[in-house]
Amino acid sequence: MSKELFFKTQYEPDENGHFGEFGGRYVPELLMPVLIELEQAYKKAIQDESFLADIKKVFKNFVGRPTPLHYANNLSDELGGARIYLKNEGQAHTGAHKINHCVGQALLAKRMGKKRIIAETGAGQHGIAAATVAAKFGFSCTVHMGAVDAKRQAPNVFWMQQLGAEVKIVEHGTKTLKDAVTSALQDWIGDPAESYYLLGSALGPHPYPMMVRDFQSIIGIEVSEQIQEYIGENKKPDYLVACVGGGSNAIGLFNAFLDDPEVHMIGVEAGGRDVTKPGEHATRLANNSKVGVIDGYKSYFLQDDQGNVESTHSISAGLDYAGIGPEHAYLHSVGRVEYTSVSDEEARAAFTKLSRSEGIIPALESAHAVAHALKLAPELSSDKNIVVNISGRGDKDLFIVNEKLNAKINN
Amino acid sequence: MPRSITEQIKLAKQENRMALMTHVVMGYPSLEDTRQRVLLMVQAGVDIIELQLPFSDPLADGPIITVANQTAVKNGVTIKQCMDLATELSSQVEIPLQWVGYYNTVFNYGIEKFIKDSRRAGIQAFTFPDLPIDEEPYEHFFELASLAGIPVIQLVSLITPVERLKEINKLAHSYIYCVARFGVTGTDSKMSDEIVSYLQKVRKYVTVPLAVGFGISQPQHIRDLRDSADVVVVGSALLNLSLPELKDQIQTLCAAL
Repeated sequence: MSKELFFKTQYEPDENGHFGEFGGRYVPELLMPVLIELEQAYKKAIQDESFLADIKKVFKNFVGRPTPLHYANNLSDELGGARIYLKNEGQAHTGAHKINHCVGQALLAKRMGKKRIIAETGAGQHGIAAATVAAKFGFSCTVHMGAVDAKRQAPNVFWMQQLGAEVKIVEHGTKTLKDAVTSALQDWIGDPAESYYLLGSALGPHPYPMMVRDFQSIIGIEVSEQIQEYIGENKKPDYLVACVGGGSNAIGLFNAFLDDPEVHMIGVEAGGRDVTKPGEHATRLANNSKVGVIDGYKSYFLQDDQGNVESTHSISAGLDYAGIGPEHAYLHSVGRVEYTSVSDEEARAAFTKLSRSEGIIPALESAHAVAHALKLAPELSSDKNIVVNISGRGDKDLFIVNEKLNAKINN
Repeated sequence: MPRSITEQIKLAKQENRMALMTHVVMGYPSLEDTRQRVLLMVQAGVDIIELQLPFSDPLADGPIITVANQTAVKNGVTIKQCMDLATELSSQVEIPLQWVGYYNTVFNYGIEKFIKDSRRAGIQAFTFPDLPIDEEPYEHFFELASLAGIPVIQLVSLITPVERLKEINKLAHSYIYCVARFGVTGTDSKMSDEIVSYLQKVRKYVTVPLAVGFGISQPQHIRDLRDSADVVVVGSALLNLSLPELKDQIQTLCAAL
């Protein structure tokens, strides 16, 4: 019997949104009433069967769920170890898992009577998904995006605008996701009554980490059903591998299995160009960053000695973030999930590898998970299996991959 | 030695006026400029000065103060340097100086050490807008600061419900900071009648003086608040003025108190 959305695990937060020492609601007083209202509206909605029914209907008919779980036979045969399965969230409408929490939050915002959706975006996938649900469910939409991200993900800016969203380019700070988050929060502080802040990952102040996780948990729920077709009834996967920026796709895959101790879970962070140099990577957990309180929640953040947020680097905009969702911080601290990293170069190689061996072009974010699976599979016996979350498809990365490939040819 | 904030507000009351609180970002554009700016503000008649500890991601501040924070961070300003400058200033001024900033700065510095060093530096109060009372059971910051005799100032907003106002009042000391309009710090908005009625509502549930800030830049704003606030806060509007402009502007604002 598979789980239903909004199930609980042993890793739930307390009533103030603290996962162990992490999480919470470290926000200005202006936002407190709004967050409390949101939490109450969410709790009420998940008690209402029609909310679940609405989500399931939109997941099926609009998003195109369930997304396939595909046996990567060519890759598995070539590597000669564990069998690799790919959960292809790239097949979801808009091309990535982000649509899952966008649908859930848009339906909630509708129930709350909100008129405008505010979102931040790194890679642009969340922004596209937010603009999409805004169009579908009748909201106006403002997407905040760092200028650096907007440049490297220019097609997504164009598509967001086509979907009717206003894209607000953030020109201050590092001009990446962290500045987009700050800018979006500032926008929300300025218009709390009419607007809904549609947060794009399992992070930020309570109740977002819990709420985004719950909507994303559909990924793991589907995997737990789909894997049985390949490995037998009531069997669980041995390994789950997902990339971790803020951590929404990873927690979405992991959550349904957290209470199954036999399932190993690995979160893959962006190793960038050099994990030993500040500003050259975005590995928070695998690289022992410090606990801090930033962007409204307590977690591990890459910071300098004064507690200022350090700049980060990753080939993938979606992993290029100094913090990590509080539940991941907690799962790391209690040892439930293992966190590791792969470099830009490894991710790029995995991108090419998966494209050629399986006919699936992954997002560069997801290519990080693939890169780790390429290392892991040969170390395991052939009776083991690994589920890799392909959180999004690679179309959006055309220019960045092409640029890198070109540079290689020219050298 | 600086007076306490409570004494300073009382002093202003005896002169039958509101108190004026101004703001600087430590190390913006340089620590030396901050030093001169603070001394000039004191000379021009300011009652309380908020010294902002620079932080890379100041989520409750608007673009003007955000850029100032990020510039100071980029210049490599350390909290230790801020403590040293506060110590020096405290020995020269009689009005209260207080920290304003973001909680990660405190958390990273070490909560107890931060409180101890701030006390030594003559700091009279703390405002950390991203530390709401709900996190106090986890952080114990109000408790530790109050043991050291430093009040933690709380903020309320136009949408803070009455029940919450009562809770906030329980931990209130020196004054409560009322955010006068929606949005982050900035200079572009008008004061509204809504704000006056909001302040009257807050007054019913709050037993300490009221400070009003966010969006105040003109003498008329100050005159509009005369019957409803005890302290007016002018921040962003002064941040990028040259020293001579700053002096003139503060004197103009003081005349409206």
